[in-house]
Amino acid sequence: MENHDLIDRYFENSLRPKEQKRFNELLQNDLNFKNEFLFQKNLKQVIAANQKEELKSVLSNIEERAKKDSLFASVPKKWLVAASVMIIMGVTTLMLQKTYYPSNEAIYAEYFKADRNTIQPVVRGESLNTIEYRAFVAYEAGAYYKAINLFNSVKNPEATYILYYKGLCYLAVGKSYQAIELLSLVSNEVEVEGPSAELNAKSKWFLALAYLQINENEKAISQLNLTANNPVSTFKKQEAKEILEYLQ
Amino acid sequence: MLNMNHQESENLIELLKRGDQKTLEKIYLENREGFINFSKKYNVDENDAIDIYQDSILILRENAINGKIDHLQSNISTYLFAIGKYKIYHNFRVQSKIEMTNDFNLVEENVDFDVNLYGPVLTKEQELLKKYYDQLGDRCKSILNLFYYQGYNLDEIRAILNYSNKKVLKSQKSRCIKQLKDLVNKHYGKS
Repeated sequence: MENHDLIDRYFENSLRPKEQKRFNELLQNDLNFKNEFLFQKNLKQVIAANQKEELKSVLSNIEERAKKDSLFASVPKKWLVAASVMIIMGVTTLMLQKTYYPSNEAIYAEYFKADRNTIQPVVRGESLNTIEYRAFVAYEAGAYYKAINLFNSVKNPEATYILYYKGLCYLAVGKSYQAIELLSLVSNEVEVEGPSAELNAKSKWFLALAYLQINENEKAISQLNLTANNPVSTFKKQEAKEILEYLQ
Repeated sequence: MLNMNHQESENLIELLKRGDQKTLEKIYLENREGFINFSKKYNVDENDAIDIYQDSILILRENAINGKIDHLQSNISTYLFAIGKYKIYHNFRVQSKIEMTNDFNLVEENVDFDVNLYGPVLTKEQELLKKYYDQLGDRCKSILNLFYYQGYNLDEIRAILNYSNKKVLKSQKSRCIKQLKDLVNKHYGKS
């Protein structure tokens, strides 16, 4: 075995006892060997430092995107506060007893958060360039109008998942009636298994929020009940129960 | 949280080792909110929580690469949370330790905390090497990275990078190292 093979084996953690002995001897007595080894050892540390930097920057990018997503949910919280303040003012000025519960708008603002895209994971550097892919990119970036336009142009506009995400786009931009129209289609499908079944369960929750936005409380309650008691899904069960308490 | 069986967990660990970004992002996003909410219980504000969370992911990745979690019994989320909790506890000296200590056994058995998160302070020589390493071509970088950082042996790298035989790979690796040495020597005016 040649000397540089010993160095490779050292880094592979595969030196046998005899080789280890030879390795140690060379390290002590052969300056070239020692320098070669030290060079590679330095290299190892340098690469590790490099990798850590890279990973950190990757994580910061992911974090930035995550923050943008949650901004969606956090901005409306201000409305909730505003709504609560108005309710309290209402209570004190008009002496109303029953309005401690938040308005529909406040409930909607508190609970609506666009569903994550589980259909077409958007991966950086992926070379897919279909309309559907671009639609999901827009959706994930929160560019909902753009996403709606793209969803309109996909090859399979009637597919359940397209209807679902397009519905969510409408909901996100406050076009509740269009959202209801699309989400109802998804909600009425009777799939028991598979991804469509999952969307079917989820659509009921978003449908409830859409009805809340237009103050159709009874319809909202009915969808919330379906969500809270859905035997095949746990999606938003707890939240549905919380809202039901407000509404009933 | 990630819900998975043992097999999936092992696949994830393998993907983590390879630095698969999709996997990293998935793990990151699926546990992020839970971790921030958890931190709030201990009055750790969101920015601190995110810092700790990112450090925990770095530790997770390092430990995956070092083979510390090859045979992890719990799932990755549990493990990641355990690291994060441990760090919250140590960074903030949280009073109520009870809830956290359950996870400590897991962590203490399986985590190498001796991961230098902020990068080892490189010597001048290493800084120089780093500068020139960055200038190497992608081919060289991936060979060297797989070998020195990710800990694959030459046979494995031959398979990963599709080399026809080990000898070709070995001489390619030697050429990369020589190229790096030449750049450093040139800097010192030795060639």
